This record gives sequence, C-alpha cells and structure tokens, in this order.
Amino acid sequence: MPVVSINLKDFCNLVGKDLSIDFLRDRLPFLGTAWERASEEEFEVEVFPNRPDMFSTEGLARAFAGFINHRKGIIHFVVEPSDYKTFVDGSVRDVRPYIVVSVVEGVRLTEEGLKSIMQLQEKLHISFGRNRRKASIGIYDADKVRFPLSYTTRDQGFEFQPLDFPERISIAEILRRHPKGREYAFILQGFDRYPILMDSLGTVLSMPPIINSEDTRVTPSSRNLVIDVTGLDYRTINAVLNIVTCSLVERGGKVRAVSIYYPYATEFGKSLVTPDLSPRRQILKISSVRKLTGLKIGADEIRSLLEAMRFGVEKVDGDTMTVLVPPYRADIMHEVDLVEDVAIAYGYDRILPEIPPISTIGGEDPMEVFSSKIRELMIGFGYQEVMTYILTNPTTLFKKMRLPETKDLVELRNPKTSEYTVCRNWLLPSLLEVLSRNTHRTYPQRIFEVDDVIEPYPKAETKARSLRKLALVTIHNEADFAEVRALCDALFHALGLRAEVLPSDHPSFLEGRYGMISLKGMILGFLGEVHPEVLEAFGLEHPAAAMELDLERIREFCMEIRSS
Amino acid sequence: MAIVVLENELKILNSLERLDGEKTLEQLSALTGLTKDQIASLALTMRGKGLVEIIETKSLRAFLTAEGERHGNLGLPERRALNWLLSHEKGSFEELADASLEAWEVPIAIAWLRKKGWAEVSTIAGKKFLIPTELGKGYKEKRSLEEEALALIASSRDRSLELKGQPDGILEACQALKARGLIKLQELSEERLRLTELGRRALKGEVRLILEVSRLSRELILSGNWRNVRLKHYDVSIPSYQVFGGRKHFARQILEHIRRIWVEMGFKEMKGPLIETCFWNFDALFVPQDHPARDLQDTFHLRNPVAGDLPKAEIVERVRRTHEDGWTTGSRGWSYKWDSETARELILRTHTTSLSARTIAVLKESEIPAKFFSVGKVFRNEKLDWSHLCEFYQTDGIVVDENANLSHLMGYLRRYLLRLGFREEQLRFRPAYFPYTEPSLEVEFYHPFYGRWVELIGAGIFRPEVVKPLLGRDIPVLAWGPTFDRIVMINYGIKDIREVYSNDLEQLRKAKAWIGG
Repeated sequence: MPVVSINLKDFCNLVGKDLSIDFLRDRLPFLGTAWERASEEEFEVEVFPNRPDMFSTEGLARAFAGFINHRKGIIHFVVEPSDYKTFVDGSVRDVRPYIVVSVVEGVRLTEEGLKSIMQLQEKLHISFGRNRRKASIGIYDADKVRFPLSYTTRDQGFEFQPLDFPERISIAEILRRHPKGREYAFILQGFDRYPILMDSLGTVLSMPPIINSEDTRVTPSSRNLVIDVTGLDYRTINAVLNIVTCSLVERGGKVRAVSIYYPYATEFGKSLVTPDLSPRRQILKISSVRKLTGLKIGADEIRSLLEAMRFGVEKVDGDTMTVLVPPYRADIMHEVDLVEDVAIAYGYDRILPEIPPISTIGGEDPMEVFSSKIRELMIGFGYQEVMTYILTNPTTLFKKMRLPETKDLVELRNPKTSEYTVCRNWLLPSLLEVLSRNTHRTYPQRIFEVDDVIEPYPKAETKARSLRKLALVTIHNEADFAEVRALCDALFHALGLRAEVLPSDHPSFLEGRYGMISLKGMILGFLGEVHPEVLEAFGLEHPAAAMELDLERIREFCMEIRSS
Repeated sequence: MAIVVLENELKILNSLERLDGEKTLEQLSALTGLTKDQIASLALTMRGKGLVEIIETKSLRAFLTAEGERHGNLGLPERRALNWLLSHEKGSFEELADASLEAWEVPIAIAWLRKKGWAEVSTIAGKKFLIPTELGKGYKEKRSLEEEALALIASSRDRSLELKGQPDGILEACQALKARGLIKLQELSEERLRLTELGRRALKGEVRLILEVSRLSRELILSGNWRNVRLKHYDVSIPSYQVFGGRKHFARQILEHIRRIWVEMGFKEMKGPLIETCFWNFDALFVPQDHPARDLQDTFHLRNPVAGDLPKAEIVERVRRTHEDGWTTGSRGWSYKWDSETARELILRTHTTSLSARTIAVLKESEIPAKFFSVGKVFRNEKLDWSHLCEFYQTDGIVVDENANLSHLMGYLRRYLLRLGFREEQLRFRPAYFPYTEPSLEVEFYHPFYGRWVELIGAGIFRPEVVKPLLGRDIPVLAWGPTFDRIVMINYGIKDIREVYSNDLEQLRKAKAWIGG
C-alpha cells in the first residue's frame, strides 16, 4: 500500500495550524492511515488505496483540517471557462483512446509543492493507474505550451528530447535506452504508432504513458500548469484528473476548463469540457448510519460529522440526507462509504465495544474433531507433532522418494522459487524433510503430522480435493518395521477397528518390509521400513520406519461402528 | 550400634567369612561375581566403616622361560651329560650327542660340567674325552641347589615360585638360573582383604548390619524386606536426564485455543477448498477483476488444473451486474465489463474469507442470526523473509444478524483478543480499508518490543455489494480475518516468522506449553 512522505512545515501551512509530531502520530491513524515513521521535518504514513486523494500533502492536509474540526465542509471548486482546446486524432483510438486535460493558473508551487505533486503522480500511477496502464498523468509548465493541443500518434522514428535526457532521440531509442522507456515499453508493445501530446507549435509535451518532454518541464517557480491524463477508461482518468487538479487548488491555483474534441463517438459524446469539479450527490439514510454504526446520533450530528470529512449536506428530508461528494472522492460508491466516514469522524476510539445477546449454537467441523483425536493418540504414543507446508516440489515428492514423476498434481503457474512449485499429494516426504533438517538433534526422533494433501479431482467444483492424512516416522538406531507395525495395531485398536496388513511393494520402502493397510477390502494406508536410498537422498544416517493413513476413510469406518 | 552396608559389601563380607577372613581380590571376584575394580572401590568404603583391613603384600616370583621349561622337564644339560658319563666312564665330545642332548645343548653341557668340576677333559691317543671327577661321581644320587630350585618351580601348580621365605641356597640358585636365562624374576604386589574384629562381630550378628539398596524392587516389596533395608539417599538437587515425550506443535496449541474461543462464543466452523476459483476468492467479495491483489505477483495461479466451475447462474449474474453497475445494491459498481472466464480461474486461496462468501451463499433465512468461524491455511505469492511466508494460517469469522453493527464487531473482536491473553490497554481499533467491507477497521496491538502499533485483525461489515448478490438481500454481516502467525510470534517471542514452521525439534521439544488467556 502507498506510503507517502510529508514535509511537516508544508503540511502545517496547508492545514493552517501548528501541529506537533506527537499529535499527528496519535490522531492521523484514526483518520484511516497507518503511521510509519517521523523525523524532525518529515513524517511518513501509509494511505489506504481507497483514498488516493490523500496521496499528496495537499490532500492529506485538506482531510486532516476537517478531521480536527479546523476547516470543515465541502470546498466548492470553480472551473473558469476558457478557449483552451485539445484535439484528439483518430489514430489514438486503438492505442490509448481517452484524454482529459485541465489548466491550473497562479499556483504557488515551491520546492515542497513540486515534490508533493510528483509523489502524488507516482502513487496514482502505481495504484489507481495500475502501473500507468489504466491511467497516466502528465504535468507541464503552461507558459511553455501554446494551445490548442493535439493528442495524436507518431511512428517510432519521431524525435523529441525526453525528460532527464541531454538530447533529442527517436521513440524507438526512448523505448530502448531511456530508463522510463524500458520500464513502461510493455504497455505499448504491439503498436507501430505511439501516442504523442503536442502543442500548436509542434512542441512535444509528452509521449503517454512513457515520458514527458524536456521542453515543457515543470520547475519550482512554474506558476501555470497544464495537466493531462490519458488512459483506457474514461471514469478512471477523470477521477485522476480531479484528484491532481484539486490538490493544486490547495496551493492557490485557479482552474481553467479545457474543451476536448474527439473525432469518434465516446460514451460521453464527441466533445466534452474537463475538468468537471462539480460535487456529486449521494443519498444517505440517517437510519443506515445508526443501524451500521450502532451510534444513537441525529441528523445534526451526522451533518457535522460529514462536514468534518469535507462533505456537504444539501438537504435533509426526513430520514433521507442528500450529501454533496467533492470531485476528488472517487471512492464513494454507496451510502455505506459515507457511513464509514461518519464513524471515522465520530472517532473509532470513542465507539464502545459490545456483545449483543443473540443465541447461536457453536461447533467444530467433524473432520477437525477427528484430527484432534488422532493427534492426541499420537502424542500418547510419544510422537512429536510437526507442521509443514502443503507447497513443495517434484524432487522432494518423487525423485528423493525413488518414485517416477507424475503429472497428476496440482501445479502452480507462477511460483517464485523452485522450492515451492506444486501441492503435495502425500505427507511422508514433508516429514523426511523435517528429519533431514534435524540430524544434529537428539535421537530417537519420532514425528507425525495430521494435515491435508491435495490432488486433482475433475469431478469437484474446483477440480481438486484436499484429503486429510496422518503420517508418522520413527528414526533411530533400532527403528524397524516391527516398531511401526506395533504402532499401527495400537492405533487401530484405539479406534475400535481391526485392519490387516497386506504384503506389497513400494519403491520408497525396503522390499519385504512394506505393507498396505486394509479394512473390508479398502486400502487405508501403508507402512514400511524406509529404503536406504531414500534415507541417503534426505541425508539421514539412521534406519527409519514410516506409516501414512487416509483419515477421511478411517473416520467413515469409525462412524459406521458408532451407528451400528 | 548399626552399620549401613550395600548389598555388594555384604557379599564381600560373607565371602571373607567363608575363607578364613582373608582373601585376595581375585579370589573375592571369583566368589562374588563382582569385578576386581568394583571390589577395590568397595574395599575403600568398607575400610571406612571399619569392617575390613586392606593388606598389601609384595612378592618376588620366579617363572620358567621356555628353555627353563625344557630343562625343568628333562633335567639340566650338564645333569643329562653327567648321568651318561657315569654309566659309560668316559665319553668323547661326539659321543655326548647320544646323552639325550640336542646338538645346541652339547657345548652348554661341556661348559657347565667343567665349570662345576663334575668332569675333566683328557686327551687319549690324540682324542679328547670327558671323564667324571670324584665331585661329579658324588652327584650321582644328589641334586645340586640349582636343580633343586628348578624342580621346585617346575613342579609347582602354576610353574612359578614365591621366593620370599625360601632358604638362601635356593635364592642363590635362582639368581644363577636367572643368569643362565632359564627363569625370570618378577616383583608383584597384591591386595588382600582381611576381616577386622568389627567385621567378624558383624557377621556373627553382634553388630547390626543394615543393608542399603539404591532401587526399591518388586522383590523387596513382595518379601517385605524393604522394612529391613535402608533406601539410599539421592542428591535430589542434581538434574536428571532429558525427557521429550510427544508434544503438540506450539502453533497447534494456539490454533486449538482459537477454535475453543469461537465455539464458546457460539460460532460454527466453516470448511472449504484450499484450491479456489477466483469467483469465491475475489469476485464474490466485490474485488474488481483488475485489482492488484489478483495479480500473479500476489496470488498463486494454477497451471494444473486451470479453471473451475462457477456456482448457479443466478448468483453469477448478480455478481456480474454488481461489479458492472451495482445491480440493485445501491452502488455505482466498478463500471467495467466483468469476465466470467477470469472468475473461473483456479488459485490457491489467498484468504479464508472465501469460505465466508460460500457460507453466505448457502445460508437459509431460517438460520439467521448465524455466526461462523474458520481456521485454515491460505497462500500468498510472497518471497519468504522474516515477515512473509507463502503459506500460513488465518482464522475468519462472520456474524449474520439483522441488528449487527460496528460496536458489536468491536465487541466480538475485543473478547477474542482478551481470551487470547491480550490486555485491554494494549489494543486499539482504527479505520482501515478492505475492498469487501465498509465500514472497515483494524485492531492493533502495541508491540512493546518494536515500540509501535502492529496489526492483529482486519475486519469490517461486508459491503452490500458482497452480501446482496450472494444472499439475495442486504443484511449486516460482520466479518474479520485475523492474522494467526503474528499472535504465535508475540506469544512465543519469535522475531522471524519462518521460525514458526521451521520444525526444529529442539524448539518443538522445549517450547513452553500454551496456557492461554
């Protein structure tokens, strides 16, 4: 989640009040951020992704000023008409079809302001913009730009001087040589024409979503700015434009409208004027607030709390409140989002925890109860429980166990390490791995695990099923078949079942010292003395004997006895 | 007066009595079955109790060499030569070979005959003869001291002779035999035990002996003899050997405690698949299909199997509409085109909240109010480090109740954490964000080690966009998904999360038992 760093002095200026780090550390978390760290001049907070408007010093200060009841209520943003225009060329339609633009004039930017806006841009790119794919932002010095703008495309031979580069180079070279070009080239892969935003004199502003041009660079002394957002989804880029524009207004900027002309029909028509900073209306029921929060509060208090969160209340009609939502609050989708803000403004630390008197009957899953019984029995037999991972790899499951590899496994598409690439289909290899890491510990070692294995199962809704198993291993100088055979008999005896052991063969076990455990013609598991080659593969120096049982079936047999 | 004796000490005393009150360690070993070392060490404690004396005797013994052995049987070479000469009056050097002498013994015999003056050499007709002297004739019936000594040794039972106490002549003869390499002399020291007066009286019963035994045995109990013996006192302050036994994994102990807490509060367990469709893991929870959490970076997708089944069409359709335009939930929706193929993709579930979604989808009106919990494994595509695992446990809970609210949510969670041993003043609730809950909150714990607040539980009230498509109507559903491993780490002072599942047997065998709150 985005962590934003904030200059304390700049923040206090924007809030309009002197605030101490201690106060901020105490109160900011209750606005819905996570405090990270602070130095004398700066502090860092993690802002949740639903509040991109707080990714900047300006936005966080605006919200906090309301939260501490210093400046309350909705800000009415004025967008002054202008004859600024942007023409969209039909060739962008397939590459990056939408653009919105705004102009902010008279901004007092300074070094800190510029840093904050750059940070806002970066965090929006990552979260809201889905790494620039869905939306990307460009900010330019308006004094270096001559309207009207044109949003068009050029081929890879087209040249301009990208930001932070000493010379003009071609688009092809930008994608190959410029750090940003290399990082974001994937978004434009497969196209032979590339989006370019340029002014009426042919000065390039940017190549969305890759890089701006050096010619229109913003400096701390820039006063007038042009902002554009391009992308794939109109709603998203509009929300992003509003967040950036409104942040700049906090620094004294006046917003000018820009008319945009599309040669093709969009869901909003062929021409539109941006930014649209008028508030949205969201209906909030007073009863919903009271029901969801449990707070006994009335319309007046709710209005006051909403204003502390910088909303406006247009009217109250009985239970229904019409709330004005500022243009930078893209996260308000439903009245429950307003309910949460009311609760936040009220203070989570002031809400009293309470358990209601409702009667329900609790209970555990039967298989879990059975697993717990089996664990108790195993502990009684002196075995130590271990807890291992379901994720493993074919080497451990097959090669080390002297088994031929099978493809009938649940396999990951995107593993991060070769250690965890598949889900285990039996437990024993996990236990041998535990033993291999404990060769320096006191012997005898007797360990067990009761947990799931997973196998593909086409009949199931998720094409796989989990099976609860018990596996155990004993390893020490005198460990042998007799030891696990005795344990097997004791375990089944304790469960009231009478299983037999049928001689059989298994590559992981010694010949003539392996058997399958069978009850009424059904195989419930196996036991045997581990093959020395398997011991070698796991780096084990003592004889070992092991058993693995299918607890699902065993439980069914136990239930049968109980009911007969 | 009473003397405490060990069983083995008593054995030695009894053996000494049978053998005139004095014996060597070998003899005692043969009689008692104890080793010489055991007897030697017991002798010291018995001497301490005044029961025996230890007598150390030094002796000089003569042993035959291989050559001495031969001569001991056949007689010295000069004797064999003299006997032959006496019966033949004289004999040439060559003829002496007939006198039962080996060739190598002939020169020895000649040398000693002359040295002892038993025979002389005379030259007759240019040929040398040996003729017995008068002295030699006198030894016809008499043995020399050397022969006497050799015979004594050769006839003794172990072919050796104690020299102490032998007459001077024999001693001198032995020195001579030693010089001739026929015997070896060896100085030996030997310990003998002898009963003291106290020891004799104890054996006669005039002084009481109390037997001390280290183990109380079945025999002692059956015979009632435990009354007559003294059980040895132990130094109880000394640690004994290590006991491991079978134990539950320490994380399991907490997992079981957590289950107990939820069951106590009337929660019923939910179970469901580890392999999950994106539909239940994400879509049903109103997580948009382009949400970063669904990326390959964060979620394990499957190569085999690839896609699962979607639930009944009615639910799928409602979820689709809700994502696209909010359906009838009152929401604006995410305004994008929802794709059913994406929803069918199989993954390893990233949270047990998928079970909550499944549970709500099959909940009957008659079952409301309802409370459910789950404890299970979840998976994240993380690189393992001190704070991340790719496989770990989570415990989820939901409360479906017409009157449920934020304060109830806090109430359940507060009770859960107090039952886990947290204290009220260590906890706080603060706003948070999850795509599927609104309002949302996090419960934080002030970690004394890190000196900061750390997250314990993410929680909230399910959005109407989650509940209505699954249940058919909107109703408050309290929901939470607490981390589990962090609770284990806090309780066991573990700083690296990987240690929770490292299965180090030393750690597992010695982990403190979970006592709970």
